[in-house]
Formats: sequence, C-alpha cells, structure tokens
Amino acid sequence: MTTQPVGLSIDLAPQQVMRAIDGQYDMAVWRSTSGVVSAWENRCPHRGMRLSYGFVRGESLACAYHGWHYSCEGYCHYIPAHPELTPPKTVRPVLYSVVEQSGLIWVNTEQDAMPVALPDDLQPVRSLVIECDLATAVQALDTRQPHGGVESLSDTPKIITFETGGISQGAVVAIQQSQPNRLIVHMLVQSAVTAKDKIALSRLIESVRRQAESACNEAT
Amino acid sequence: MSFTLHNYVLSGNCYKIRLMASLLNVTYESIAVDFHPGQEHKSEPLLQLNPAGTLPVLTTTDGTVLTETQAMLVWLAQQHDPSNSWWPVHSKPQITRVVQWLGFASRLTATVGELRLHSMLNKPVNVTAVKTGAKVVLRELESHLTEQRINNLQWLTGDTPTVADIACFPYTALSPDAGIEHDDYPAIRRWLHRLRSLPGFITMPGIYELHELRKPDGYTVSDATL
Repeated sequence: MTTQPVGLSIDLAPQQVMRAIDGQYDMAVWRSTSGVVSAWENRCPHRGMRLSYGFVRGESLACAYHGWHYSCEGYCHYIPAHPELTPPKTVRPVLYSVVEQSGLIWVNTEQDAMPVALPDDLQPVRSLVIECDLATAVQALDTRQPHGGVESLSDTPKIITFETGGISQGAVVAIQQSQPNRLIVHMLVQSAVTAKDKIALSRLIESVRRQAESACNEAT
Repeated sequence: MSFTLHNYVLSGNCYKIRLMASLLNVTYESIAVDFHPGQEHKSEPLLQLNPAGTLPVLTTTDGTVLTETQAMLVWLAQQHDPSNSWWPVHSKPQITRVVQWLGFASRLTATVGELRLHSMLNKPVNVTAVKTGAKVVLRELESHLTEQRINNLQWLTGDTPTVADIACFPYTALSPDAGIEHDDYPAIRRWLHRLRSLPGFITMPGIYELHELRKPDGYTVSDATL
C-alpha cells in the first residue's frame, strides 16, 4: 500500500475536518486546535455516522450525530448523554498513519506513512479534482511541457515535475488517485515564485483539466 | 422597521436578505409566504406585488418594491452601512468587481439553486444541464477564491466582505442539499467558514453556526484536553 497525498496542509486549518477518499478507504482527516493532524476511518464506532461531518472541540473530534468525543489517539472520552460514564477503550475508530511533509498531508491506510521526498522549499499552489484516469491526465500535462515529457519523481503515487514557459522554477504535481476516473492534483512550487506566477500555474492546471476531461469524455 | 420582506424560510435568496439585515443590525417586518406546498407566491395578491412571482419581495417604507435579490442587498447596504464597506462606493475598481460577482450569484441560483429545488421539492428541471452548470460555477468560484488566497485577500472582491460575498454565499453553502458536497472545493470551504464567523451571522436550515463559536450550552466536559 502506498502513502498517498490527501491534501495541502494549508487547506486544513486548525479545528477543521475534511473528507478524503483513497480507493475503498473513506477517511475523516482533521486538525486539532493545537495543530495535530489525524486520519481516521470515516465512521463513528457508535452509529456509523461519517466523522467528516463532525466538529473539533479543543483536542477532540466530536461526531455530529450524538456528540461522542474522540481524542487525538482515537479513544472516546466523553458521551454527552452519559456525562458520568467513562467510555471503554474499545470505542475507537480505525486510525491511519498520517504525516505532514513538504506542505502535504500524507496518509497510509495499511502501514506507517512514508512520504516521497520532495525538493526543499516548496509552497502550495492549490489542489484540484480532475475527473479522468491517470494516463490521460499525465498525457495532458505532458503536452504542456516546452522541453518534452514530464519527469517523474515517483510512480506510485504519481509525482512529476512540471515546467512552464514563463516560470523558470518547475512546479511539483502530486497526483492522488482517489477513485477510478477521479484524481486529486496537488500542485506546489518553489517559494521564490511570485503570486502572479502562482496564479498563472493555477490557471494552467485548470486548462490541463479541461483538456484531460474532454479527452476522457471523448474516449467514453 | 425599515422595510417589509415577503419571506420563505427555506429560500436561499430570502436568507440573503435576512443575513444582510442581521449583519447590518437592521430590523424589519417579515411576512411568511407559503411557497411550498401552497404556491402562495403565484397567487394573485402576490403577483400584483411582484408579477414575476418570485421571492423575496422587499417593500421599503416609502413604497418602493424591489424584486431582485441582488438589488435588495445593494439597497440595504446603501441605507444601513455608514462605513460604506459592504457597497464600497469609494472604490470604483472594487465596486465593478462587486457587480461582476452579483451577476455570478444569479448563475449560482440558476444552477445549484435549481438543482436544490429539484432535490428537495421535486421541481421539474433538466437535471443533466443544471448539474453540469453547477459544477462549472462552483469550479469558477473555487478558482477565484484560490487566486484571492494567493494574493492574501480573504473575500471575493478584496480584503473586506461586500454584498457580493453575501449574494454568493447561500447557494454555495447549500450545495450539499443539491447533492454536491464541498469536499472538492478547499478554497470555498475556507471562505464559507470565514463568512460563518462574521459577527451577526445567522443560520437557516442547511447552514449552521460554527461549533467552535458556540458557547458550551449547559454541558461541561470534564476532560482536561478540551
């Protein structure tokens, strides 16, 4: 099982919860008030509610359904309907290994998360969803390269460097294969790049998305 | 009472006016209209007030009747915002951008809003067309808010919220009612969160207060980690 990038660190502020999907794994990824990131199976052990609908209180994630509170270690420590009860340690969602590195949140659902080593000094541009298969997306990225094909830093997950005409420093594009025909593209760039160039990159990746999705629609 | 609002609690457009009034601390008289199932907005008395048969309808104390939601937001800000920040008359470039996003808000209503009416009240619509349209507008909004973030700007048209943010907020926030979750739109999520943090923010069914801003009402949590 590979370690997948599931989001940009800046897109998960303290006290926020987001949903991430990696194949058959549905996850609630959340950040506590002090900044600790956790990735759990998206299912409250109590009644099966998606924990991504929950809310953060301090260092706990609370389920939206009955307010059961889970600590960063995953243990239920408070049940509003039974405030005097100490919940058993068995009341705990499945926890996944999560690491923040290079401005990305990386998750491995089966073993310890081992992020791909990326160049130093990267800053986030954006994450965006592309509804197509990986080969079509990489092909679309490839056509925008002034000097031939994209260079792969990693194949699983697919991480490539992406050169653009106007910008001397290349961008890094980490592609999360969320579901069949559903990719999430996380784009980062060297921090020396100006805001104007970041916006140009953001628009370029949108243009790549239009190309890839239209190629994918024609093929089906 | 500075105006009268023909109002329906589940309408995103009516909520825009209730929200703007609350943010500006303005009181008004609300007249509940039985939009569903009564179709009262299509009844003769209401058609006499607003031949378009839409909600909301805003009537000012001097008798002016406004039927376009975005115009009501502008009227409210002009009348009740002495700081001139919600309708930024002192900045020509910004006010141009505000008008641009007021127009965009109508596209949100025509796509996400229509899909929501279909999901909730079985309104007959071209589902494929409005679904495609909803994705197009939400992606546009996401890209714009991404660019604003790159430029260190928090809101749609600058570093303060305007009527444009209020105009675009409800149907974006309500898109889960139409089956479109916010998972794919991180910049939109941040902006929605920011808007829900504004002093004077009020809720509607489908748009709730932020839990972190809620006072722990009556219950206390013993654990020291909280």
